[in-house]
Amino acid sequence: MQPARRARRQPAWHMLAAEFGESTLSQQGSGEFDPLFVISKLGAKVNRVIVAGMLERLDPRETSNGSTLWQGQLRDPSGLHFFSVGDYAQESMRELTIQLSSRLEDGESIMLMMTAKARYFQNEEGSVYTSLRPEEAAVISREVYRNWLVKASEGMLERIDFQEKSNSLEKSNEAFAAGGIPNYLLEGLILANEHYGDFDSESYRLNIMNALDIAEGKVPSFTSSAAPTPQSSLEVSNEEESKDDATSGDGVDLKQVLLDLIARLDNGEGVDFDTLLSNAAARGHDRDSSEASLDELTEDGTVHEPRFGWFKITN
Amino acid sequence: MSDYDAHVAEVLKQVPEADPEKVSEAFARYEKDFLIPPEDAMRSVLRRFQSDTGTPAQSNQQTSSNQRQNIPIKKVEKLSDLSADDRNVEIEVEIVTHNPRTTMVRGEEKIVPYGLIEDQPWSEGGNRTRWEYKDWGNNPNIAPGAVVRLEGVSVNEYQGRMSINVNQASRVVVLREGVRTVTTPGEPVEINNIKSEGSVTVVGRLLATRKDVIHRKDGSGSIDVVRGRIADDSGAIGFLSWEAFDHEVGSLLKIENAQVRVFRDTPEINIGTSAKIEIFHDSNFASADDLVARSVSKIEDLRDGSRDVEIIVEIQKMIKRDFEGRDGEAKSVWSGDIADPTGKCRCSIWAEPPFDFESTPVVVRLKGVRVRAWQGIPDITVDNESQIEVLAAPPWGDDIDLSNNVVEVDLQDLSTGASRVGISTSGTIVSIREDSGVISRCNKCRRVLRDGECSVPTCESYEGVDDVRLRMVMDNGQSTISLIVNKIASESLIGMSMDEISSFVAENGSMQFVQNLREKFLGRELKANGRTIVDEQGAMLLSDDVSIIEVDSALVATELRAKWGVQ
Repeated sequence: MQPARRARRQPAWHMLAAEFGESTLSQQGSGEFDPLFVISKLGAKVNRVIVAGMLERLDPRETSNGSTLWQGQLRDPSGLHFFSVGDYAQESMRELTIQLSSRLEDGESIMLMMTAKARYFQNEEGSVYTSLRPEEAAVISREVYRNWLVKASEGMLERIDFQEKSNSLEKSNEAFAAGGIPNYLLEGLILANEHYGDFDSESYRLNIMNALDIAEGKVPSFTSSAAPTPQSSLEVSNEEESKDDATSGDGVDLKQVLLDLIARLDNGEGVDFDTLLSNAAARGHDRDSSEASLDELTEDGTVHEPRFGWFKITN
Repeated sequence: MSDYDAHVAEVLKQVPEADPEKVSEAFARYEKDFLIPPEDAMRSVLRRFQSDTGTPAQSNQQTSSNQRQNIPIKKVEKLSDLSADDRNVEIEVEIVTHNPRTTMVRGEEKIVPYGLIEDQPWSEGGNRTRWEYKDWGNNPNIAPGAVVRLEGVSVNEYQGRMSINVNQASRVVVLREGVRTVTTPGEPVEINNIKSEGSVTVVGRLLATRKDVIHRKDGSGSIDVVRGRIADDSGAIGFLSWEAFDHEVGSLLKIENAQVRVFRDTPEINIGTSAKIEIFHDSNFASADDLVARSVSKIEDLRDGSRDVEIIVEIQKMIKRDFEGRDGEAKSVWSGDIADPTGKCRCSIWAEPPFDFESTPVVVRLKGVRVRAWQGIPDITVDNESQIEVLAAPPWGDDIDLSNNVVEVDLQDLSTGASRVGISTSGTIVSIREDSGVISRCNKCRRVLRDGECSVPTCESYEGVDDVRLRMVMDNGQSTISLIVNKIASESLIGMSMDEISSFVAENGSMQFVQNLREKFLGRELKANGRTIVDEQGAMLLSDDVSIIEVDSALVATELRAKWGVQ
């Protein structure tokens, strides 16, 4: 009976990059203030996410109207989140972005947690891109990152389970509800079922296993580098410095391992970042030091990046 | 005179014989003498010239359909896309309720049904908007549960409330026949299912009645009414009879065609002239004693506007306030904090209580009391001491210590339910607002000063008093709630005193302070105790005790592997 009720705040989904990034379906109401939703393969109807990971890139771009748009990438065990921070962002977010960018340039490795709004683009050829528009972000400790990983994994496991259950159900609200699909997934899962059809969620399970490995501290030497929970930005940078010292010792070995791996895995177009780092991890090298060594190899020209995220040995 | 050209042209289109000069004059007269703008005067001017020029008297229907064609069709999906002056609207809706009502229209008795419609009939769930409608044409296609396309309907705004008028000339196209189980008039419904306004028939046992008098607001006299409560297996509901009502408590009644009114958050049955009451016979129907026992409320059930409530509570603290009544007479009110195992709320007693109010706790049974809410907290109003019965011991036993009892409530239930006191919930912090930290409050009204100014006009010569609060958003992935943390809890959560915060902000700026808070709390699980206020704006948790929930990630990860078989 009330005219147009004020929209309530949309909840935030804990979501790994793979699930968000593979989404190709969106829903936008016709009203001016209707929220935009990106619908994932697992039926999550996402307007807002809370994501975490390693800040991998954060560069300013000049836009045509003269303002600055910061574009960044956040890596979690399943892949990359792409995000952008523009003039529309809160002042605190813009200020933090500038700080983070210079810290990143100084070679610091930064774990970031952010709440962000989902964005969705479709180009003329019909390709779909999703990205994030951060609202708030903070540098976090590894322990908080692990908390986030288990939380994100748990949500994803539940969604995989309900998605699999929904395959055998008649595609209607009533049948889904009767089949035990919870309310918060009903609408998204029906849309997802229509749009994505059947798909294999095995890769998501692998993502989760990686995430849980990190949460359990199973990735070798990962825990040793985690100092006691840092609470302020100052302490974080101290911790990172000491870690850099620690990794420099086995840096040469690791470089050789990486070079061997690239040589072995390269089928012509190079080896992608994830494959490389998970293989290095399998040999007992944590992602951070592998990444640092890979950076060094790229910088000294031993390895080059023919396209972003793919590595080749320079001949 | 050129101001009226467009309107004059409109009139000429329908009455070509009319003199443009005169039409223009007519519009001018309406505007200058009666202050009626030409668009509103159109109908009257048109009618005058139609009769003046002897244009064949058109029937109302044709006129309105002619006018309709001149206004472009506005086709919308959502009711919220409409504004108050939209005419000739086309929209697809679902008819939620449909109540035929006889009204006098220009001295003629007409059936003008009214009810509720919902937009976006094809979307399941989601945020459908509901409006009321009136069907002036008593269109046979409008039936509850049906999805219809309304064509040529108009929007009506009355005191800020928008509704749809289905006009006589409107078209109603049935897109889907009513599929919902439609309660045929006369078919009784379960009392617990009575939620929204409309016509209803119930079978229930009379639990209580009392005579009451309603004074007309304009002072033109009073009406004798009977209030009471009836119940069936599913629940109990209050009623108000405008007609003589002399059934005995305990009798089983069938009340046909009564109207449901929702007062504040509480539905109530109205028995008027059109209602029919008869004694109902059913030997299996629950006895009055059983129903009374079952209809005892708990604090978590209390809603603003509830009447004839029976509840057992522990009065935890009570104070007496003396004041002067309107007639100068000295009066007192005893107000206090009360609790039961489901929560806490407040209570006001307007007569000398039959117990020593200073020696609390006291357990009492309150009967026939009513509930008001202030800032979302239910306040049980007790009008006289006969409504209070002191109990020797609480029925929930001595094991529950209510003085520190905090009820754990799921965030989802809090954000969608009524306001609650004495609750605790947990969730992920997904936002820390920039206005967290030291704030300045008005010393008169406690409101936050903005740029040193108090927004309340009656606050004069006020001063700013420093206070600390954190404003965050808590989220469980499905619902969110605003979390506002008071000074003591904020200081203890962040481990800084107000002075320390002030000097940090002076040195590093408030942005850095908020950024530090985010580094500490963004994405963390928090547990918060306090009370909630839930209204149209959303849900808010005012907390006086918050703590971080430490999670052992490795342990949770191992549990997840075991539960889901991810090895």
